[in-house]
Amino acid sequence: MKKWFNNFFLRNGLVLSLYMLLVSFIWIIVMFVLPQIFMFDFSFRFNWTQIDPSKIGGPEDVYTLQHYKFLLFGSPNNPDPFNIVDVSVFAHTILTAVFVTFFDLLLCYPVAYYLAHVAKGGVTRLMMLSLVVPFWINELLRAFAFRILFGEEGSINNILVFLGILSQPIDFVRENVALYTGLGYAYILLMIFPIYNAVESLDRNQIEAARDLGSPWWRIHLRVVIPFAKPGITSGCTMVFMLSAGALALPQIIGGPSSLWFTQIIYQWFNTGSNWPRGSAYAVSLLVICVILVLMIMKIFKVKFGEIGR
Amino acid sequence: MSSATFLRLTISFYIFLFFAYLFGPLIVMSITAFNSAGFPRLSPWDCFSTEWFGVLVNDARMMSGFKNSLIIGIAVVFVSVPIGLAGALMLSQLSDRVRPVFYTLTISTILVPGVVLGISTLIFWDRMGAMFNTGYESFFYDGIFLTIIGQSTFISAYTMLVFISRLQRFDSVLEEAALDLGATNIQYFRKILLPFLKPAIGSAAVLAFLASFENYNTTVFTIVSESTLTTVLASKVRYGINPSISALAVIIIGLTLTAAFIHEVLKRREHARNNEQIKEKRPIKLKNYSRKNFSNPISVMVLLIFVAGLGTAWMAKGYDVNQCKIDVSREKRKRQEELTQKRLVEMQKKLEAQQSTSGSSKSLKKSAPGTDHYGSIFAPTNLEGQVESTKQKEEITETEKKQYQNIFAPTNLESQVKSED
Amino acid sequence: MFAYFKQINPTLNIQDQTFKTYKRMSADVTLENITVKFDEFTAVKDADITIKGGEFFSFLGPSGCGKTTLLRTISGFQEPSEGSVYIGGTDMAGIGPNKRPTALIFQNLALFPLMSVCENIAFSLEVKGVSKKERRRRADKLLELVALPGQGDKMVNELSGGQRQRVAVARALAAEPEVLLLDEPLSALDLRLRQHMRTELREIQKRAGITFIYITHDQGEALTMSDRVAVMREGFIEQVGEGTKVYDNPATAFVASFVGENNAFQGNVSEVKSRKVIVTTDYGNLEASLADDVKLSVGDKAIVFARPEAMTIVKRGNAIKNVINSRVVYQEFEGNFWHLILDGKNGAKIKMSQINDGSTHVFEERSELKVQIDPKLAVALPFGPLAAE
Repeated sequence: MKKWFNNFFLRNGLVLSLYMLLVSFIWIIVMFVLPQIFMFDFSFRFNWTQIDPSKIGGPEDVYTLQHYKFLLFGSPNNPDPFNIVDVSVFAHTILTAVFVTFFDLLLCYPVAYYLAHVAKGGVTRLMMLSLVVPFWINELLRAFAFRILFGEEGSINNILVFLGILSQPIDFVRENVALYTGLGYAYILLMIFPIYNAVESLDRNQIEAARDLGSPWWRIHLRVVIPFAKPGITSGCTMVFMLSAGALALPQIIGGPSSLWFTQIIYQWFNTGSNWPRGSAYAVSLLVICVILVLMIMKIFKVKFGEIGR
Repeated sequence: MSSATFLRLTISFYIFLFFAYLFGPLIVMSITAFNSAGFPRLSPWDCFSTEWFGVLVNDARMMSGFKNSLIIGIAVVFVSVPIGLAGALMLSQLSDRVRPVFYTLTISTILVPGVVLGISTLIFWDRMGAMFNTGYESFFYDGIFLTIIGQSTFISAYTMLVFISRLQRFDSVLEEAALDLGATNIQYFRKILLPFLKPAIGSAAVLAFLASFENYNTTVFTIVSESTLTTVLASKVRYGINPSISALAVIIIGLTLTAAFIHEVLKRREHARNNEQIKEKRPIKLKNYSRKNFSNPISVMVLLIFVAGLGTAWMAKGYDVNQCKIDVSREKRKRQEELTQKRLVEMQKKLEAQQSTSGSSKSLKKSAPGTDHYGSIFAPTNLEGQVESTKQKEEITETEKKQYQNIFAPTNLESQVKSED
Repeated sequence: MFAYFKQINPTLNIQDQTFKTYKRMSADVTLENITVKFDEFTAVKDADITIKGGEFFSFLGPSGCGKTTLLRTISGFQEPSEGSVYIGGTDMAGIGPNKRPTALIFQNLALFPLMSVCENIAFSLEVKGVSKKERRRRADKLLELVALPGQGDKMVNELSGGQRQRVAVARALAAEPEVLLLDEPLSALDLRLRQHMRTELREIQKRAGITFIYITHDQGEALTMSDRVAVMREGFIEQVGEGTKVYDNPATAFVASFVGENNAFQGNVSEVKSRKVIVTTDYGNLEASLADDVKLSVGDKAIVFARPEAMTIVKRGNAIKNVINSRVVYQEFEGNFWHLILDGKNGAKIKMSQINDGSTHVFEERSELKVQIDPKLAVALPFGPLAAE
């Protein structure tokens, strides 16, 4: 260990070594790990700021599971056995995130493949550019665009009514369709590029060989392309899932009243609810479940963590 | 049609649909920015107007949020680029056992939900502030500071990825060569490594700025009492949406497209210049490039837009927004009155039908919709009040008023009726 | 084929007056019991030699023998696990590569891609703070030294392989080192260029007068260019000496088989006389000469080595000593030599070479042949590992 440090300082000189080590340390530990630990710790504390600030640090400042209990069971006055509202929102968030991930995968895989293998040089660059450009535009503005499209007086309703398909405009927002489409739309880039990278490095000859041997196109994909692109697919799915589950702007802007997102509940605890510890507990729960799911997926598909990257 | 062609067609159609899905919302939104209606929509289309851009600029909250976004964005660039560079350099020098751990830790900052990053940053510095017993004015609680830290936590990972990919093309032997020739580490860093990384530094800076500017999930927690452009936009959900947001979208889309275009041109020019320099050592003239550049599709598109813009400007000479609005409201009123007329006629028919069955003769005499039973509902004066909006009142001239009075026959009738009574 | 190594290196006649002799303070390099270990693997085992100032010294050996590690230890990129490196009498322990009076020419040259030729060459001056004008002047002088006049403003990727080589040499020389280290610099070049560069490098070394330490796996290079050669195997230095000595009097079986081509006849010592030994092999009793520093006793396992050029065809009625009966497998013509490949015992092949002086007989395949090994040129050595084919 000491030998490594010796070599490191020898190789890079004093200034550069200190720069690399200190900065990396500050980044990972001070900016990332420590805050997570603090948040985790905070989620077990009483909300003294609301109850009695003077009691902070005193003998009654003990660790408590009350916030987690609240998440699951609701307040003591709750007639139901579980905190139906919060738990169902939680489940809804996770399930929708899974659904959106799946939808994005189906949507983007053909495009990524097309980009990697079918499109020719100039077309490829144009397509790449036109994929990236929408995503340089603010996430919120895109959400608003969806709001305009899907609203009661929105364009889609206008077209459908005009075409006579509908007699009355449907409130898409209320029906959550807007939210689902919006979520599917938002993270397309993050699904396409990992898959594209993975598929692009596949030797075209392998596909040719498979076709030569008489394999129909769907089997080529199933047996040759997809197994090869597995790390890319997993990487894309992981990112889309995490970002969908953790989305906040989209639900707030195009989410209807019945599609509450778990992150919105967290926000409420911090904002109007003024109960930071409880919000932390909720946030920790979200984080833990997401991480567990992602690890499970990686285990199932046998992908190592080091292969996730752009 | 052979199956291969069919397949190809379906795929092309699918790709087309995909891009329609991608660009559709943005195009729609951009168009709504020019509709003078109070709520962004395509139809009914009121008037072509650029007034919402003015509203946008005058929105104080939006402007202040914009300013904060700029400040934070620039600060994040100066924080996350050095951090990303340090991370990339570390990664290239770690042993095979430690490297995956380091990589996992740094990539986790991107995977962890932004809200979690925001919350944890907020709590951590809040606790730090309490530990050092500072007041609420200190930087521990300052929204701008917290946001810079919170955003940099994951944006540094983005910049690190940029540097990693650039470093991979760097021959590490060059480091030894430089040292062997007598350079100190710092000289090597300055003279050999940094010049090589220059393009990566540029991309990383741009990436960092853009990522910071558009961030919401983390910012909304760390910004505390301040605001950024994104938080202002989000709060508009509560205060009400008007097309000034579409106007903002148009500006941003326009900037993005311009930036993309410039980027493409620069890249092509550099590409061609590299090829030229190897073949011949003449200084590069600008003229040689114009012909090549204008044959590509992006240039064609931009050219079209430019022409369209010119045409629109020419047409706009004989066009006045206010006049258009008056016309539009007039149209609206006309339609409303026609609708009212229709309803009145229908009601009258129903009345007559009912009267005939009930046998009451009183209402028959009153050919105009009565002011007694169905009183307030059908009082044309009420209708008039509903249709006229206060905004338009000042613009109505005397002659137009008279016109309205002609249309609103029931009023005349009523006054006649009243006068009769 | 390698007989011409025996010729003395011709004295170079420097006629061109524009090249002033680059006399530098060239230093001795002493390696004192150097051992270099990487975790479990020992790359260099107890290397102990002194390389004289101004000498062109080569480390010769197959891949993985530790010569690159040794070079890196001398230049400062590798700390020895044991032992010390002395350059010019000063212990180099703890002194980093940028402070040592050495310059290294890397195998892939490592020229700085974003800099011009002149900037590359002048880099060592730039880091010392020399003025731009002076840098330019010295770079131009060096370009003349390496026969690339006026190429200073070109970018590195515009040059050919041989030209880049010379830029690398110029760049190293600009640092005014006391010792120049070269890591297989010619391995990437094609044959003609390689042979041309061999002469060039030798000339440059003579002009500059600096100690050159050269590592290679090509014995042709090592023998033609060097004053002395060290043959290495698996971290050990097996023999150090002038080219002729290493060729004619190899110290171990490995050296005998690695340097040049050699036929190996394995057997047991049956008789030892001063300077002569008789080894009983599958081919009969073979007499060979014994070098002074080689110890063999009766009964030892030994190998008799005979160079292809040390064998002659037995004409009728001649000699009885060291005669081998065999059969011709095939005959090769290589311009200045004829090679005969003969069937040996246990599937081994024996190679015999004759100078093409117009009198060589062409043999039919499968024809029988008697060949004799010259006992004065045959060498007996203790049994040991041979160079891989």
